[in-house]
Amino acid sequence: MILFSMANTFAQDKEAKITLTFEKADSLYVCKALVTSEGIPVIEVPVNLSVKRLFSKLPIGDAVATDSTGVATFEVPQDIPSRNGKLIIFATIADDENYMNTETSGEVNWGTIVVSDNSNVAERSIAAGRDGAPIYFIISSLLAIGLVWGYLVYAVLQVFKIKRLGSLNKN
Amino acid sequence: MSEEKNTPESTKYETFTQEEYMVMKDDLLRPLGKIGKVGKIWIAFLTAVFLAGVFAYYLQESRGKYVTTGLRDYTTWGVYISNFLFLVALSLSSVFMSAILKLTNFQWYRPIARIADVISLSSITMAGICIMISMGRPDRLHHLLIYGRIQSPIIWDIIVVATYFVTCVLVLFIALIPSLSTCKNHLKNLPKWQLKMYEFLSFGWEGTAEQWKILKKIIFILTILVIPLGIALRTVSAWLFSTTLRPEWDSTNFGAYFVAGSALITVAVMIIAVYAFRKVYKLEKYLTEMHFDKMGRTMVLMGLIYAYFNINEYLVPAYKMSGLHANHLLNLFIGEDALFYWSVVFFGIAVPIISPLFKKMRKPLPLSIIALAVLIAGWFKFYLIVIPGQSHPLLPIQDIPASWAHYTPSLVEMTIVAATIAGTMLIVTLFSRYFPIISVWEVAEGKLEGKEEIINYK
Repeated sequence: MILFSMANTFAQDKEAKITLTFEKADSLYVCKALVTSEGIPVIEVPVNLSVKRLFSKLPIGDAVATDSTGVATFEVPQDIPSRNGKLIIFATIADDENYMNTETSGEVNWGTIVVSDNSNVAERSIAAGRDGAPIYFIISSLLAIGLVWGYLVYAVLQVFKIKRLGSLNKN
Repeated sequence: MSEEKNTPESTKYETFTQEEYMVMKDDLLRPLGKIGKVGKIWIAFLTAVFLAGVFAYYLQESRGKYVTTGLRDYTTWGVYISNFLFLVALSLSSVFMSAILKLTNFQWYRPIARIADVISLSSITMAGICIMISMGRPDRLHHLLIYGRIQSPIIWDIIVVATYFVTCVLVLFIALIPSLSTCKNHLKNLPKWQLKMYEFLSFGWEGTAEQWKILKKIIFILTILVIPLGIALRTVSAWLFSTTLRPEWDSTNFGAYFVAGSALITVAVMIIAVYAFRKVYKLEKYLTEMHFDKMGRTMVLMGLIYAYFNINEYLVPAYKMSGLHANHLLNLFIGEDALFYWSVVFFGIAVPIISPLFKKMRKPLPLSIIALAVLIAGWFKFYLIVIPGQSHPLLPIQDIPASWAHYTPSLVEMTIVAATIAGTMLIVTLFSRYFPIISVWEVAEGKLEGKEEIINYK
């Protein structure tokens, strides 16, 4: 029992290092993650590949175990969108039985540049911001609000007219 | 022939003498005397519940909503919003049980109109408070005005609630001016501040022909104005839901469906209020069995209209049972919320349509019991519209605890909700203690059948 708990406690003590390399093979984009520990390649360690997106990392496929040379090979899809064509790719070892969690990243020019048509951003529309409301919308809203509040103010003024008539009658 | 036609009018006029008017004034102003023991206990109870809600709100804001409420990522609009919808529904009492009856010349509106107007004012006040309670950052309320987009239904809602509130104040207090003058002239054994209040709020009313002319004109236009405003208020609160992309709320029927629901609920609340005032203030002579008979019939009609919109809202999507709607509808019809849903359909739609068809059921007590069931079912109906609709978002939320998918209101939330209901009743109760709950001049005018001589009755 004690041995078991000790084995568990110290099981993830070993440090591993990941080295990422990117290469084009024929028409495929291939990313290789070499996992070594104290300079020796590590075999059968699952490696996860992911790409940085705006808020978090998007996993690329399932985890791949390292082969007899300590390399996990991934095919990277060719249609990952990017603003400038650059992608930041992460290779991660997480929750392994023998090795501590580790992560490394590399930048590569494999992204598909997305061209956004923002020409209509300045246009007035329902979906626009506070300053971009359609003119017809502002006019009709103000007209409806103005008419109703106009009458409410008129009603209050009439009440004061009633008061004035009352004091005139007293005099 | 013309003589025969004129006889009933003149007879009625002649029989309503100044002496009879004095008796009527005594009857209708009697509740403004000293508050009895039961009245004090009732007011103390409502105040205690309201203060408990204030304390619960303090806890909510000081400890945070995550700790004190059941609101999570799935259900972000909880019982506060469903209660808001219920209170907004009640606030249309002035539209359905006063303005429409006045304009369509149903004379039985006269003794009940002010009760409807007070309920409207008190419930729209509490509805406005409900919005603030449900806000994540109430200290940023003014940001709605500074940064709000006119294209957003939330801004429409804030504008229409504020406008309707002001309109309700004017509808109630302008029609009250002659009655306050009556209070000032007729009631003497009251505290000085109360008499001064009557003096101040009666705006120098002397009952001159010109004053009556102005008053009638303002009341007439306000009566017309309150109807589209009330419908707009209700429709905008429905649009808060139907302009979102959730499948359960994605309905073109929502505005009309909400308005129809309000019509039924306002009849129910009016029956209960009229019953309570009739019993407590002994106003059987003015709030007669005829009123219950009429309101019972109105309840059947409103129930049928509401049922029609419910069929459109639930059975048409159920016929298609598309993937997006199936989860929600099956959950209501045969799933986890089925008992809840069918109870609400039974008490909130079937009972108000069928029960008042029998004459015996249109008597004050049975009709009030039916109305209470309708009102409670109405509250739960809004709960069923708001809460289960959020359990099935178009894009399931990832990586959250399973318990977050289910919403149960916390004790703090229920205390605050109880406080808003108590607050509504407290405003109505206090109003009826300090102002005539039945409009003296409107009832007198009814006796005179609209003759100009009302100006002689002070």
